[in-house]
Amino acid sequence: MSIDPRDDLGPGRRGLLGGAAAVAAGLGLAGCGSDGGGEGEHKARRKGQKITLTFWSWVPGIDKSVDLWNRENPEVRINLEKVSAVNGAQYAKMHASIKAGNPPDLGQIEYPVVPSFLLDNGLLDLTAYGVERHRGSFVGWQWQQSVFGKGVYAIPQASGPMGLFIRRDLFDEWGIDTPRTWDDYEAAAKAVRKRGSWIETFSTTNGNRFAGLAWQAGARWFGTAGDTWTVGIDDEPTRKVADFWDALVRQKLVKTIPDRQNAWYKDIQTGRMAAWLGASWGDALLAGNAPKTAGKWRVVPMPQWRKGEAAYANWGGSTTAVFSATRYPADALAFALWLNTDPRSVKLLIDGGYGFPSVKSGFDLADLDVRKDFFGGQAYSEVFAEAGRGVDTSWQWGPAVDALYQRLGDAFTAALDGGGSFRSVLRKVQGQTIQDLKDKGLKVAAA
Amino acid sequence: MRRPTRTEARAARTAALFLLPFLALFALCFLAPLGYAIQQSLLRVERTGPLGLGGETREVWAGFANYSHALHDDGFTAGFARVLLFGAVQIPVMIAFATGLALLLDAASARWVGFFRTAFFLPYGVPGVIASILWGFLYVPGISPLHEMAHSVGWDIDFLSRDAVLWSIANIVTWQFTGYNMLVLIAQLKAVPTELYEAARIDGANAWQVARYVKLPLIRPALVLTTVFSLIGTLQLFAEPMVLRPLTNSIDSGYTPNLHAYNQAFTSDNQHIAAAEAVLLALVACVLSFGFLRLVGQRPRRPKAARRGTPVRRRARGGAR
Amino acid sequence: MSPVSTVTEPEEPGERRGTGSTVSAPAAPPAPARTGGTAKRRRAAGPAQEPPLAHRVITVSLLAVAAVYFLVPVYWLAVSSTKSTSDLFGSFGFWFSHPHPIDNLRAVLSYDDGIYVRWFLNSLLYAGVGAVLATLLSAAAGYALAKFDFPGREGVFNVVLAGVLLPGTALALPLYLLFSELGLANSYSAVLLPSMVSPFGAYLCRIYAAAAVPDSLLEAARIDGAGEVRIFSTLGLRLMTPALVTVFLFQFVHIWNNFFLPLVMLSDSDLYPIQLGLTSWQGYADRQPELYQYTVGGAFLSVLPLMILMGVLQRYWRTGLTEGSVKS
Repeated sequence: MSIDPRDDLGPGRRGLLGGAAAVAAGLGLAGCGSDGGGEGEHKARRKGQKITLTFWSWVPGIDKSVDLWNRENPEVRINLEKVSAVNGAQYAKMHASIKAGNPPDLGQIEYPVVPSFLLDNGLLDLTAYGVERHRGSFVGWQWQQSVFGKGVYAIPQASGPMGLFIRRDLFDEWGIDTPRTWDDYEAAAKAVRKRGSWIETFSTTNGNRFAGLAWQAGARWFGTAGDTWTVGIDDEPTRKVADFWDALVRQKLVKTIPDRQNAWYKDIQTGRMAAWLGASWGDALLAGNAPKTAGKWRVVPMPQWRKGEAAYANWGGSTTAVFSATRYPADALAFALWLNTDPRSVKLLIDGGYGFPSVKSGFDLADLDVRKDFFGGQAYSEVFAEAGRGVDTSWQWGPAVDALYQRLGDAFTAALDGGGSFRSVLRKVQGQTIQDLKDKGLKVAAA
Repeated sequence: MRRPTRTEARAARTAALFLLPFLALFALCFLAPLGYAIQQSLLRVERTGPLGLGGETREVWAGFANYSHALHDDGFTAGFARVLLFGAVQIPVMIAFATGLALLLDAASARWVGFFRTAFFLPYGVPGVIASILWGFLYVPGISPLHEMAHSVGWDIDFLSRDAVLWSIANIVTWQFTGYNMLVLIAQLKAVPTELYEAARIDGANAWQVARYVKLPLIRPALVLTTVFSLIGTLQLFAEPMVLRPLTNSIDSGYTPNLHAYNQAFTSDNQHIAAAEAVLLALVACVLSFGFLRLVGQRPRRPKAARRGTPVRRRARGGAR
Repeated sequence: MSPVSTVTEPEEPGERRGTGSTVSAPAAPPAPARTGGTAKRRRAAGPAQEPPLAHRVITVSLLAVAAVYFLVPVYWLAVSSTKSTSDLFGSFGFWFSHPHPIDNLRAVLSYDDGIYVRWFLNSLLYAGVGAVLATLLSAAAGYALAKFDFPGREGVFNVVLAGVLLPGTALALPLYLLFSELGLANSYSAVLLPSMVSPFGAYLCRIYAAAAVPDSLLEAARIDGAGEVRIFSTLGLRLMTPALVTVFLFQFVHIWNNFFLPLVMLSDSDLYPIQLGLTSWQGYADRQPELYQYTVGGAFLSVLPLMILMGVLQRYWRTGLTEGSVKS
């Protein structure tokens, strides 16, 4: 029953897969041209030859897309191995398997972590396989997340544009306006506090969110200058963000418990916490953990540093990457592209709650307002879509971001304990990060 | 008693046959990784190529640079100080608790012994990770029924605060392993010939005196070895802080040496430094446990000496392999 | 806590009979069974000098307080396994709130095509097969170390003993890299092979064999013309049975509770043991909140069989321990 999948595709799809097929055809050449990692093992699949590619992922529901592919592509079977994503263990395993020379063919890799895989030449530079022609199908800044130098190292899958979740009912009851700027936000925090609740928590260990806040403010934590990495964690925009939250914490206007953990869920359920700076994927999280607050939540845009601006940021999201040790790069790439652009696949992923699609057409494919009722009928995905369009595209990730988050968490924790200001945290982490990169044998300079 | 050489050679061959499967696996799973870790700890990575991308990645000799890096890392050494403090408090408390329970269960005045013993022993069957998830719920303010009950009688305690969290972890470990240690001690108590008690009774000793002056000295070997294995377990402390870490701001990424090494390897991808830290950890564990055995004059090396001791399992706390 | 008490009942008589006899009776030729027998007559002789009531009350009260400490978390787990995710965070922990135990159970068992059942079977496989093989290997090694004189014997024994003292976590990562090179990582054998080595088991078996397997018996068998393997498998293993039961149980629990090794070795969730599976659920729970509930329910389910095992097999633990330590 499985025939050539290409037969039943619409025109758009045909173009896309046609491209992949063309790449496959021209592969002998591309295989030689590709950079280091592959050690010349890359092969073009003979017509009719059956192969199996291994794909490591942890995204719930991704198996449905993989099943669909396997039904339609009997020659290129994808063997999905669900890996544990606890504490970044999946990346450690990917690194170790690269070192041991037997990584999977494809892997799920979050944006911030992509550069760390470049250091051990783990990822295939996809430009050799004609990936550039697909650039236009994806949201610009998401595509840009995997571009380093002239290479493209992964296919973007999904993102998490940030927004502010608020308890509309409580804000109304207490006569607090929706905060449009960070100054508004501080005022709102005070007003909420007067009512005995808290607006938010500043979680010291949540490096991802802090990075998002800095990103919005225009920070550039990482960059490249020639053959040198530049590190700018202690830059002006980040200082602005640190000072702002330092002040809130010191005035006791925000809690400092970890978010998305037991105590936080309790606060969310009881209205002891009236807002959350989250991301698009937070809808499922709130709806599932605080079902009794259904209908009371709304999503509003992130507060701005200056009134009328539209600067946003991203928290979360990941890519499908092809490992350089794969023997069949063209087929692996074809799958990676199909997974993240085929309308049926994207729809399955959206239904599984994977995040905000990276493919432009994704916004029209499926109803992104999965939890409409929980948000009182609001078409809340428009807020996130708007945020997605306003994300600063020049932000770049660097190597060892996980270690950086850990450094930040440890330093913020120490600061809360009386070890200085948040600004001093940035100074400290800036120094540590530069040293970390040096220890990895990289050229590095302060931005 | 010197036997003829032929018999000796035959004995050696037979022994080799019996030993081989065990030793082969032992070499594969203990010696080889240890050797590998030592080798890795003496290397470092050198990268070429712009931004470290696309170029060559080579492992080059580093001498003791990784060790010096680890020893100069305040986070790592602070972790050591922390587990030593932990051990200095938790081990005596747990062993005393276990001894107390063993003596109570062994006392003539005890009732429902089987039920109590089973109840005390149950937590040993709860894996470290699950025990920590479970206690995590019992610690978090706002969720914890313990916290709620304490609060209702006017006692506000945050089990996960910076000052308390180490002892909250100690509590999890105590909860899990007291019953096991108790069982070892009971086993030794049961082995004491009844005549000894009878003699003490006849001399007019009361229950307390029998426990203190007859039983306790007799279970000393078991106490020594449970202590040694608790010591090794303490140095490996891992699962409990790892599971509790997301729940609180009080546990940093290098809270225990093992967690530090794990994060070096798994989060920061610094295999070589992680290897050096692992070797240091193993070294300290060996020095401390052999040192302790020396100190109390008990050497488990010879079967003769060990025969007096109670066998003890390897501690199975989350981290142990 | 009914499981506890039902488990305990049949256990009492065994304990009064005295530890040694229950297990080693069938195998019981010379030394091993004796000490156990003498040690335990005191209880039977008890009633003559019944301790004063006050003593009994104090003792039992102290024991009861300790029992509360050990059982309360288990009680919490039992109660919580009947709750929904939102009640898990939103209701009083020590009491029920909209309990639906059956629905929860079904959800845990059927989520993701019943992956939980597979994890459970994996755990059984790792712990069961691993512990049996570890016991046999330890028995052979301990027997050889105890009963054969050969050059380097003490050296080998000391190395094995040092293995007991090595922190396992220190070895897990290098072991993973080694296994990767051998193509063994991410497979059943990646967890099984290391689980089959128990330096502690070999240590215990040596001590036990030295005491419980008389040289004279071996010589007699040799004179009868029995081969060494046969002597070991018939005579040696039989005489060492109590120690072997202990080694098996220790190793079983050790493997069952082990988290780090599978965490490092396995990437495919089809191979996970139960603990690793549960933490992976917890890891996804911020996207799929119902997984919090499944984690707690799954934890309760996984703890149950082991706890019952603990209770039922308790006297075997004690037997092995007693025998191991008493030989004199």
